[in-house]
Amino acid sequence: MNNNKLIVSHAPFWHDGDSLFTLNLNLMIAALPAVIFGLVQFGMPALGVLALSLSSAMVWEYVITLLSGKKASIHDLDSAVIGLFLGMMLPATAPWWLVITGTFLAVVIGKIIFGGIGANPFNPTLIGMAILALSWTTLLDFDAAYVNYDFDFTALVPLAAVKAKGALAVSDLFPLNDLMMGKQVGAIGTTFGLGLVIGGIYLILRGFVRWEIPVSFIIGIVFTALCFNLANPDKYAGPMIHLFSGYTLFGAFFLAPENSSSPVNRIPMLIFGFCAGLIILLMRNIGVYEDGTVLGILLLNLVNPLIDTIRPKALGKGVNHA
Amino acid sequence: MIKRSFFALTRPRLGYDMPEPDPKEPKAIPVPSNLILLLHDPLDDARETFIKKGDKVEKGGKLHLYKDSKEYTISPVAGTIKIIDTYSDDFGNTSTYLVINTDQGLTAGTDDVQYELKDTIASADEYLRTLPGAPPLKTLADPDIKIDTIVITCADPDLLSTTHQYMALKFMDGIKEGIGVLKRITNVRKFCITVPENLNIKDEIDLAQVFRTSMIYPANLPQMILKDHLNMVLPAGKTPEDMGICFMSAEAVVSLARAYKTKAACHEKVLTIIGKQGTPYRVTAVIGTPLRRIFNAFSIHVNDHDRLVIGGPMKGFSTYTVHHPVQPDTDTVIVQDRDNIPELSDNPCVNCGKCVRICPAHIPVNILVRYLEAGLYQDAADRYDLLSCIECGLCAYVCTARIPIYQYIRLGKHELLKLNADA
Repeated sequence: MNNNKLIVSHAPFWHDGDSLFTLNLNLMIAALPAVIFGLVQFGMPALGVLALSLSSAMVWEYVITLLSGKKASIHDLDSAVIGLFLGMMLPATAPWWLVITGTFLAVVIGKIIFGGIGANPFNPTLIGMAILALSWTTLLDFDAAYVNYDFDFTALVPLAAVKAKGALAVSDLFPLNDLMMGKQVGAIGTTFGLGLVIGGIYLILRGFVRWEIPVSFIIGIVFTALCFNLANPDKYAGPMIHLFSGYTLFGAFFLAPENSSSPVNRIPMLIFGFCAGLIILLMRNIGVYEDGTVLGILLLNLVNPLIDTIRPKALGKGVNHA
Repeated sequence: MIKRSFFALTRPRLGYDMPEPDPKEPKAIPVPSNLILLLHDPLDDARETFIKKGDKVEKGGKLHLYKDSKEYTISPVAGTIKIIDTYSDDFGNTSTYLVINTDQGLTAGTDDVQYELKDTIASADEYLRTLPGAPPLKTLADPDIKIDTIVITCADPDLLSTTHQYMALKFMDGIKEGIGVLKRITNVRKFCITVPENLNIKDEIDLAQVFRTSMIYPANLPQMILKDHLNMVLPAGKTPEDMGICFMSAEAVVSLARAYKTKAACHEKVLTIIGKQGTPYRVTAVIGTPLRRIFNAFSIHVNDHDRLVIGGPMKGFSTYTVHHPVQPDTDTVIVQDRDNIPELSDNPCVNCGKCVRICPAHIPVNILVRYLEAGLYQDAADRYDLLSCIECGLCAYVCTARIPIYQYIRLGKHELLKLNADA
């Protein structure tokens, strides 16, 4: 009588084949067009920042899991994504210690102390970026960062220029075509608008990002910018400058839809995206910051649990006995 | 295994399988020398059993574990009881298994024991509970449960299986006859029949209301049929039987008709066997046949670390032995190669929301699973709709973090029942 040792487990016995590894790998693949463009535009320093950022984020996670005696989890690539995204948001001239501090803040403060993957209430990349931006404002000033570069386009940060001089004064400096094709000063991976859109559409089509969040985010940006622009065209820039400069598109497709800190139900997703866009524009136009993307999305992360309670009624709930 | 498509803008759609248009006769598995029967009655060491090792049994004879047992099983062969021992299922519920050594000569030569079947449900329940297809006679005969509608399922509830559809294609006359019998022996007046919308049934079905069901999983699960076709939403935590609706497989109806015609039990169960490459085979085997016999007949080799799934890929259960017997309700057996077994993990939920979007019952699975992981079953039921779950398994199928969500849900419901029973 042969007695095979069979695998016994619970239903379902099928799986659609998705895993955290494929999810994160695809996020990184989608970021590639923008990353490659950034490397071409900003050269070797950009490569250095990205490599250090990605690797140090993974090392931080590995070290912490080792110290806390937990199972190593870097193979799910979650910290790699955090590192890559953080690197993409830094200027190519960022010093090495800034990068390492940033990944520490993002991975350890932003993710691990809340309980690791899936437990972070805020987008870890944004936690890292927010602390860096508030602590070392001058190092993250993109106008100052690229003084030694020689660009064949306006070497001014569009949003800062709009804020300083008003929309009318800079209206000829930033043609839409240039902004879309990445001919602008900014972070390594966030200037190439077209690349970000292609990456974002790839993620949406493949089902790794829920379309509701990027779409409503962009609607929020465009709608609010248009309102401001119509109210005072001399002072406030039009929707296209806001959409294609700063971290806007990166925020729409890569930061706002971060799984753990964004809603999952349809109406909350639409509210989340729209309000994020709205807050960002309020910060840019009324607040003191040039680009409110980082803080705007963090603010919406904060209210995410609240808005995600808007959900359909479950089957058979609230039904009286027939 | 159906993997996600490359583009996945919409949620995945899992289609039910169809039988071939003109199905061949199933391959008949010869009666094996040893049969294994399960009796849903736990063995009590302190009491003397009514049946004993070495007892002779008749073909069609009724077997009780104890003199006053309500549960029984029917021996499909003439032979001798070789072993009586305890069997425990995946939730730790114990029952008893009997191994019966077949007397081949006597089995082939004799007819089944004739029953004195009267036209009452109690009489049917006395002899016919273990017919192929497992007719829910116990429920129908229970005076405390008022059933007013019987839904006959010609649509297989789980994926890959085509057993019910095969019965509908081949034995529509038997089904009609069975409805006649049910009308005679029960007080039920409303009969419905589910037929997959793509299944080409030539006969006119006038005895029952016909529901053409969708080919997309989970449309054939009882709760979905109630919702889609009977316009009835099952209150959370209730069963269809609580609402007066009883589901019965096509095969059960056919065997009931046969049993009333011959006044004896029939024992041949129709099964869909899915081999390692996904090849379907249809067989008939006597209830109690160890699965190994069937695999041998098709040269399916079961190796270490393979998985044997009884029932479909979404709702079935896996067994730890190739000697597991064919049971009255075993419609499908799937052999999964060790290389095709998807890996599960202990990752926490990352809140990607795929489960929430695929859930047919609109349950906030992402929050529910956190409560279940923490063991807060009562909160899970009160606030996050644990009891609304229709147990389709789709959430665990799509889970990016590969959490065994369905297992958590089943465990949660089980523990909650225990909690409430103790209270």
